[in-house]
Amino acid sequence: MNILVVLRMIPDSAGELQLAEDGRSIDREWLDFQLNDFDDHALEEAILLKEAGGAKVTAVAVGEGANRVLQMAAARGADEVVALQSEEDAMISSREIAASIAAMARAKSADLVLCGVQSSEDVFGQLAPYVGALLDWPHVSGTNRIVANGAVLRVTQERGAGVAVTYELATPAVLGVQTASKAPRYVSGSKLREASKTPIGRATPESSGFERSAEIITLRLPVQGGSGENLGGNAETVADRLVSILAAKGLARN
Amino acid sequence: MKLIACTEGHSSKIEAFSLEMIAAARSLAQAGDEVVAFFAGRDTEGASASFGAADRLIVARATKSDVIPAETYALLLRDVITAESPGLVLVPYSANGLDVAADIAARTGWPLVSYVNEIKRHGESLTIVAQMYGGKILAECEVQLPAILMINPGAFAEAPPGAITAVSVQTIDADPALTSGKVKMVAIDVPDYADVDLTTAERIVCVGRGIGDEASIDLARNLATMLGAEIAGSRPVVDNGWLPKLRQVGKSGQKVKPKLYLALGVSGAPEHLEGMSQADLIIAVNTDPKAPIFNVAHYGATCDLFDLVANLSDRLRAGSGR
Ligand SMILES: Cc1cc2nc3c(=O)[nH]c(=O)nc-3n(C[C@H](O)[C@H](O)[C@H](O)COP(=O)(O)OP(=O)(O)OC[C@H]3O[C@@H](n4cnc5c(N)ncnc54)[C@H](O)[C@@H]3O)c2cc1C
Repeated sequence: MNILVVLRMIPDSAGELQLAEDGRSIDREWLDFQLNDFDDHALEEAILLKEAGGAKVTAVAVGEGANRVLQMAAARGADEVVALQSEEDAMISSREIAASIAAMARAKSADLVLCGVQSSEDVFGQLAPYVGALLDWPHVSGTNRIVANGAVLRVTQERGAGVAVTYELATPAVLGVQTASKAPRYVSGSKLREASKTPIGRATPESSGFERSAEIITLRLPVQGGSGENLGGNAETVADRLVSILAAKGLARN
Repeated sequence: MKLIACTEGHSSKIEAFSLEMIAAARSLAQAGDEVVAFFAGRDTEGASASFGAADRLIVARATKSDVIPAETYALLLRDVITAESPGLVLVPYSANGLDVAADIAARTGWPLVSYVNEIKRHGESLTIVAQMYGGKILAECEVQLPAILMINPGAFAEAPPGAITAVSVQTIDADPALTSGKVKMVAIDVPDYADVDLTTAERIVCVGRGIGDEASIDLARNLATMLGAEIAGSRPVVDNGWLPKLRQVGKSGQKVKPKLYLALGVSGAPEHLEGMSQADLIIAVNTDPKAPIFNVAHYGATCDLFDLVANLSDRLRAGSGR
């Protein structure tokens, strides 16, 4: 089985995000770029499938820091790694990169394309269904387990409230991974050093082919705080206040 | 212009966000426009009995299957789009909607905006406010119709439920599409809520990724015990295996409405807020003053959660000894 897994590098949004001067993007200069969480799970699922039944895994990365993450992917078991060129300092839009991923899937004769279910930069739609529709391959998002039996896949999808639905579909297919069957593995420094010799392929982007899209006019920070009361940052005074708030509401004691 | 509001339901239950999609469409309809609700599933009676706020209802009726795979839903919806030529299609941000919205956007070539919170219509164009970066940034977008929007649950108040007149209901047979579909449902797993049912809990202490590791969950669990609360977690906590799935709050977890919700080290991503923003009293502890959880919290503190848990536990322990 040929598996293509897509890795998007996105700004670490746990830190403070500032708007760029043009007002249409975020200031990327001081941000850390990291692998989209869900893509990390997609990579893990690809490697698990390879271990379970044999597969060739090609990891394709897009965005700032792609080389670094591709070396990590190689250390975790990817057989081939490719960097997809992207515009510098630009958001990665699924709508924009879907055609490139579809073209690579065809060129590599992929049986399975795995993407993270979403990325926090994806305001114009998710990658897996775009790629699935462009290739006219079946697609399922929000997966948390994938089992391959030859060309037949059993895929479990989360539906909320703990309910899970299992589907059967045949390859070639595109899946949006929510959670891998097992938590993403760590790799040792020595493996990483070894993998740093893996040659990184280059791919050039295809035009998206969509005539029209939506446009971001401005970005802004949400109005902070709502109507809540700020208790401050001193744990002792916060604890005192909380005890009295809970007591006043009859919630302090079991 | 026609506006299509996509709706969902299974196990004889219409999803509440279905009425929100109809309300969103209604709020954008101008004189002479028509709001068409689209439902695919088994509970077509439920749809007819609830979607009276729409002008018309198109149901794709499945006689055997309780869950319609998104692939089939999108296929049925595509036929409806071809037949109706709508100006706008509203899809809920749900497990199904995640697949449906981009699929039909790719196949129609129409623009799509996801995670939509607000919409304003100016004739043939819309300005939209959508969430990015886990709710930390709002993007104001412009889009020309026809277009597709994927809308956050909770962004619009539900349309009033009521029956739709029978003449306005058009039924399509979904069974052939289900039989020939490339994605087939083979099983539904419903958890045993007897273990823990957060939806009935009066008090919840929820830990987020800020808790750091599995061992630290015990600190929060002890605090929960002192408060007579259930312990719960955000998605990463559950994904890491630190708490069982039934203790996850949010979009793919439980929707809770306790009297007390104490969130420790939870950022407040939209998918988390979807499960808990209706709680009576929300107290959030997060070192990042910009964390979106503070937008829904009634009380917020920016101290380290471990310091707070230690201090609060001391006080509660002392109190109970008295
Ligand atoms: C389809 C779909 C469904 C989803 N369903 C759910 C769901 O059901 N539930 C859910 O929760 N998420 C869900 N998510 C994931 C969601 O998007 C977020 O990734 C998740 O909610 C983040 O969890 P978190 O807030 O615990 O972690 P993070 O976003 O990593 O936040 C951790 C927070 O802890 C704070 N912190 C760190 N250390 C400390 C400290 N010592 N003291 C105080 N604060 C500290 C940080 O400032 C940060 O804000 C879903 C996503 C998708 C795509």
